[in-house]
Amino acid sequence: MLNLLNTYINSPLDQFEIRVFLGFVSPFYDLSCLSFTTFSLYTLIVLSVILGLNLLTNNNGKIVGSRWLVSQEAIYDTILNMVKGQISGKSWGYYFPLIYTFFIFIFTANLISMIPYSFALTSHLVFIVSLSTIIWLGATITGFYRHGLVFFSLFVPTGTPLPLVPLLVLIELLSYIARAISLGLRLMANILAGHLLMIILAGLTLNLMSINIFTLVFGFVPLAGILAILCLEFAIAMIQSYVWAILTCSYLKDSLYLH
Amino acid sequence: MPQLVPFYFLNQLTYGFLLITVLLVLFSQYFLPMILRLYVSRLFISKL
Repeated sequence: MLNLLNTYINSPLDQFEIRVFLGFVSPFYDLSCLSFTTFSLYTLIVLSVILGLNLLTNNNGKIVGSRWLVSQEAIYDTILNMVKGQISGKSWGYYFPLIYTFFIFIFTANLISMIPYSFALTSHLVFIVSLSTIIWLGATITGFYRHGLVFFSLFVPTGTPLPLVPLLVLIELLSYIARAISLGLRLMANILAGHLLMIILAGLTLNLMSINIFTLVFGFVPLAGILAILCLEFAIAMIQSYVWAILTCSYLKDSLYLH
Repeated sequence: MPQLVPFYFLNQLTYGFLLITVLLVLFSQYFLPMILRLYVSRLFISKL
């Protein structure tokens, strides 16, 4: 019989814990923000994966690229068409590198977090919500810069009856402010919930399979379910990066062209 | 939740935004123009 009962599974939240690998101490300043932690390690891993993929696929600038370049071109075309479709007009090209960077970063970080025993960068509320708030703030500043006070017309949908305007402005303002949090919360909650679900179900199945020979055989049924959830999580990892990119485009479009 | 310990907030933000900035510079200065040059050269060869 497999000796799985002695396998100890920690809290499901352990995978999100940040550990300090290398700390810096100074008597004058608090340097804890520069400590080399799990988070820092994974930012370096994400950076090296993205750099490696982009440097190795370019085939030294030859016109006929390698097969890997086809994948890069496919991502480039997808994001280009999305940005062009969402932010139409003249200025979409200015924002393309920003949207592309966000997409590639979240895509890579999500896929790296799917490796067992690795760490999910995008499941950290503080970082992701700060990022989404900065995007929202940038879009709002762009709107005010371009349109001045006319920007407030964004809060009055066209064709609204006059008596309803005060109520609708309030609702639209609330929904506009909620965008700052909801963009980041959507990504963070999806990734956090997915990783928690996988580890909890896997722990339960492990316990079930380690009881006796019958449960060991029967345990392959929930194991197949976990495999399906794993596939779903891979899909979520990719879809969420696309959703982030498309929503950023949509917010920018609202600021640039109002309605 | 361990990820909500305030000690790590600034650490996450420092490294996270540093990564985003480095990626943004690399993509907008090197990688995306490289793909664009590739597309333009293909266009010149095949259609113009």
